[in-house]
Amino acid sequence: MSAVQARWPVASLGPVGRARALAASIPSAAWAEGILDAPYDTAWPWVADLEVSVPRFDTQVRRLRVLERSSADGAQRLRIAASTFGVAIPFEVRLEDGYCLMQARARLYLVLMAAEPHDGGRRTRFFHLEAVPLPGTRLMRRHLQRAVDADFANLARLAATGF
Amino acid sequence: MEQLVRAARRGDAAAMDALVRALMPYVGRVCGAIALDHGDDAMQETFIAVLRNIRSLREPAALHGWVRRIAVREAIRAARRGREDPVDPEMLRGVSVAPVELSTVLDVRSTLARLGPEQRAVLVLRDVDGLSETEAAEVLGVPEGTVKSRLHRARSAFARRWEP
Repeated sequence: MSAVQARWPVASLGPVGRARALAASIPSAAWAEGILDAPYDTAWPWVADLEVSVPRFDTQVRRLRVLERSSADGAQRLRIAASTFGVAIPFEVRLEDGYCLMQARARLYLVLMAAEPHDGGRRTRFFHLEAVPLPGTRLMRRHLQRAVDADFANLARLAATGF
Repeated sequence: MEQLVRAARRGDAAAMDALVRALMPYVGRVCGAIALDHGDDAMQETFIAVLRNIRSLREPAALHGWVRRIAVREAIRAARRGREDPVDPEMLRGVSVAPVELSTVLDVRSTLARLGPEQRAVLVLRDVDGLSETEAAEVLGVPEGTVKSRLHRARSAFARRWEP
């Protein structure tokens, strides 16, 4: 039997599934998921260049600066500052192929982006989440959902026009 | 791992994410072997249940056993929900194994597909996880005698295929 065990089917969880699992466990999380009309090989590298991509599709972020870059545990670890309404908010970022988790200091804000090839890689399944993961913030969800929907619409438009 | 559980219980998303990454290989094996084609769905449902209920895990040291129960439950549920399709070799295109190994994968998979999800669960708990029949019965919430009979049938199916 042991020779057979190594060949047993193994299930997998892609970046989008991992993001959905996290989304379902954060009460205030607002998210959008859909298909971008751009190949994954084009879309993800563009998104992963956070200094360029985030201010283009997130209207609440005027500027994003990478302050420090390192790698650990199979991922890039970034320390960034995102300027929103004139205030630079520091985030700790974990960046992998198809997955980007950005958590503000003291866990005041959470941003999650995940992507997978769709339609044989010709298009991209994209998942975008924002949350204020603190107690008593459920009421903010409606506002966050509007922001996330707007970000996703911007991103879809940028993808359709080649970024 | 226990520190990670404590941070996840406090709602630290990075800790929750790290917990998922750490548990992915084990949950993938359990869900893949029990739910087969529906293993990916079972895996996602397992992690949703784990993260949603992490606060109810009183003793972080009990994490592995707690996750095992959830994964087995979700995998059986997903397998029951779905219809078992015949093995399609096209699904395994691109899998980086030699031709001989590919046929072994198909054979193991088709042997497992002939069993019910509950029998696959017993097989996984006994032969992959190394639990005793008593422990497997506890995880599955069935009498030990039921585990014995399911295991006998499951092992017989494998013996017919793998032993001359």
